[in-house]
Amino acid sequence: MTEVPLDLNVNGRRYRLSVPAHATLLDVLRDELEQTGTKTNCLEAECGVCTVVLDGKSVASCTVLAAQCNGRSVTTIEGLAEGQNLHPLQEAFVEMGAVQCGYCIPGMIMTAKAFLDENPRPTRDAVREAIAGTLCRCTGYSKIVDAIMVASQRLSQQGERP
Amino acid sequence: MNAPFRVIGKSFPRLDARGKVSGKAVYGTDFSMQGMLHGKLVTSPIASGAIVSIDVERAMAMPGVYAVVTAKDIPAKRYGSFVKDMEVFASSRVNFVGQPVAAVVARTAEEAEYAAKAVDIQYKEDAAVFTTEEAAQADAPLVHPEWETYKAVPTVKRRGNVTNEARLVLGDVEKAFKESYRVFTHRFATNVVHPGYTEPRAAIAHWEDGDQLCVWSNTQLPFEAQATLAEIFKLTPSQVRVNVTTIGGGFGGKLRLGVEHYAAAAALKAGRAVKFVSSCEEEMTSALPRQPLVIELTTGVTKDGKILAKAASILVDTGATSGSGVGVASSVMLMLAGPYKIPNLRLESRSVYTNKTPTGSFRAPAGPQGNFAVESQMDIIADALGIDPLEFRLRNIVEEGDLAPNGQKLESVSLKECLLKAADAIGWNERRPAPGRGKGIACSWWTTTSGSSGVYVKVGPDGQVFLNTGCAEIGTAALTGAAQVLAEALGVELSSIQIVSGDTASTPFDFGAQGSRTAFAVGNACLDAVGKLHQRVKEIAAKQFSVKPEEVTIEIGVAKCGDKVLTLKEVAAVAQASQGGLIAHGTFIAPPTLHDKERTENMVITAINSPSFHAHAVDLSVDDETGEVRIHDYVVAQDVGRAINPTYIEGQIEGGVVQGIGQALSEEIVYEKGVVRNPGLTDYKMPTAMDAPNIRSIIIESPSKVGPYGAKGVGEPPVITPPAAIANAIAAAVSARVQTLPITAEKIVKTLSESGLAEK
Repeated sequence: MTEVPLDLNVNGRRYRLSVPAHATLLDVLRDELEQTGTKTNCLEAECGVCTVVLDGKSVASCTVLAAQCNGRSVTTIEGLAEGQNLHPLQEAFVEMGAVQCGYCIPGMIMTAKAFLDENPRPTRDAVREAIAGTLCRCTGYSKIVDAIMVASQRLSQQGERP
Repeated sequence: MNAPFRVIGKSFPRLDARGKVSGKAVYGTDFSMQGMLHGKLVTSPIASGAIVSIDVERAMAMPGVYAVVTAKDIPAKRYGSFVKDMEVFASSRVNFVGQPVAAVVARTAEEAEYAAKAVDIQYKEDAAVFTTEEAAQADAPLVHPEWETYKAVPTVKRRGNVTNEARLVLGDVEKAFKESYRVFTHRFATNVVHPGYTEPRAAIAHWEDGDQLCVWSNTQLPFEAQATLAEIFKLTPSQVRVNVTTIGGGFGGKLRLGVEHYAAAAALKAGRAVKFVSSCEEEMTSALPRQPLVIELTTGVTKDGKILAKAASILVDTGATSGSGVGVASSVMLMLAGPYKIPNLRLESRSVYTNKTPTGSFRAPAGPQGNFAVESQMDIIADALGIDPLEFRLRNIVEEGDLAPNGQKLESVSLKECLLKAADAIGWNERRPAPGRGKGIACSWWTTTSGSSGVYVKVGPDGQVFLNTGCAEIGTAALTGAAQVLAEALGVELSSIQIVSGDTASTPFDFGAQGSRTAFAVGNACLDAVGKLHQRVKEIAAKQFSVKPEEVTIEIGVAKCGDKVLTLKEVAAVAQASQGGLIAHGTFIAPPTLHDKERTENMVITAINSPSFHAHAVDLSVDDETGEVRIHDYVVAQDVGRAINPTYIEGQIEGGVVQGIGQALSEEIVYEKGVVRNPGLTDYKMPTAMDAPNIRSIIIESPSKVGPYGAKGVGEPPVITPPAAIANAIAAAVSARVQTLPITAEKIVKTLSESGLAEK
């Protein structure tokens, strides 16, 4: 099995790894680094539960080759909270009842994170479009959209503070 | 009854939310053990045939491979819910494409998958049968040639591919049809849909001391998994310990064994812990989707719109094993009659094997299928009689004290309120507000599944309360609901409660997270525990106060006698120091629902326990050129008895409706000669955030006598009614009546062009 070197920054920590050439970013996160907050399901970029933020953009980590990520930075759900303080998106998901089984939630939150970073005050329709690549079977999406809207307000207010 | 509640009725965040939003919750797919191996199934490529040979030599020589497991490695044993027709691995014959025949165990999942392709299995193909209409014929090829040797519950009446023939009969249908002003007959057919949980089925099995099996899995029913694994491996239940991980959705799809048995068989042979996770393809080809039904429904009515009689002939396609399809064939008859007053009924149903994926108990088994037929036909009849569909329903719905089709007396009937509120909210006065736009309404009832529940409630000296339950949390927040019941009754804050759940060795028995029963049954067991705890608190406080226990009163969180006060925490500290702690075993079993057994023949499900009532109304537009359906507004009026946590009730309604919209419009596992043509999420279309409308919930509280604080089951009902409500709205919008699910754009256009309405 051909291995390739991988220099990867995950949630602010630098890892120097040697991984199979065909390993995906998801394989590296879950199997090599044993960080299972990023979820696995369809492995064909249809369900979105494996979404992480790669250099500021949300990607389905199941279809990104790890070797493509050499020298790049990844943020996963484990990297959002600061110590015991949840990120405003995580807080809003808890408060708004947006979490049921929770399996899609890491992917949803990371999708929302990258989206809000680029679109700080979106409309509800824009949020729906942004998360359309991540399937949720429990919630019917409304409360997830609610949570992202609430988080966007709070994040914008934080940003406006001097 | 309207005492001010402290905890009930309030939308507290679920107790397990933080772990789920931070990525720390450990799901079945996440769980691992030191030194574990990985398994991969080898499945049948043919729909029916004999296994001629299995050659594992080449696979065994592949890198990383530890073992190849087949039926020969485990006891020869068939198991199943009503008919014992299932095997872990096919032993001599296969009867569907995707049926596991062997499993490869290797160091990595990838090596196992690679080696699985090297297992050489030769088959001799036989004739197969793919539709129930064919399979139910006397001369059809037998899916199970040895069906007569299988054990079954005594209620079922089997013959060849038919695993049960059940009937519900009342009055004289033939006479009533003769007296009817008009008699309508229609055929409806429903689709095979997958529960669609986002976490695939996953399990790790490990044998300790040779004959102690330990399993971690994302099962909804740890105690049933324990019992079934014990049956398969010829153990006593106590030799099997099942631990439930966090569950990434179930919807009934994780009620029966998923991959636990493969993991157990593989771990037995390999002598190491083995993990199995279903692939997406395995989910779509060999999980437990909803049974497709064919329903021929005949209804006789008077000129002024009173239903005189209904007759139905129902075929339930269970796939290659009967599973819960035998139950569906019974419960669908309760759905087909109701929720209407009908003096004459002759409903006949058969559950039938075909050479396709074995089916299971997807959320409200039988609900959407039966409701689609009844409620579609209600609109067809209303239009034919020139009566408004809402008015036609109101003339026939059951009311307080009426008898259900099985003869049970109905209580706390809120259907009229549900219908009127849903109709009002959708603006029913304008049923066709614009060309191509229409509104639909439909209603239903549903059962709250019974079964026993036990909890241990333990109060610690720091005032923290442990709710220890054998029921798993599948995502609905129903255990947070049960904890709210506990907090309310015990007089503590919800934040004081910690839930421990789903370990067959350390938690008391629970019938499990199924049938909309979790908050209802576990909540009631909590109330029983609180009664016992309060008695102990009185005894302990009485001793401290030097009075008699009956002189002690309990107020919120404190025991009192005159000016003497002890907090619950203080009592718990005394109990811990002097008598092994403050703990109670609360139990609950729902009282049996009395009904008329004369009306039912061979039915395995005969009652609607603590029924809930619901109405859905939808406003949508249809593009008559493309057939595209756009939902503008969706309203649900649902009677929940008592809203324990309104936010998560809305969550059940919103999620259930969107799942129902999937069944109504886009989802279908498509077969061609037994082969699934769309075994992935690219071609199996579940609604995304772009497809889901905003849904308005109207929560109605008509308390049940049995549920905690009057609660009724909540979780399943929202998925029942969307197909019918949407079908009715589409028919109102563009006069296209589609009688098969899903109602795709293609079918709408085809129906329109056949009726000539779309022609220019």
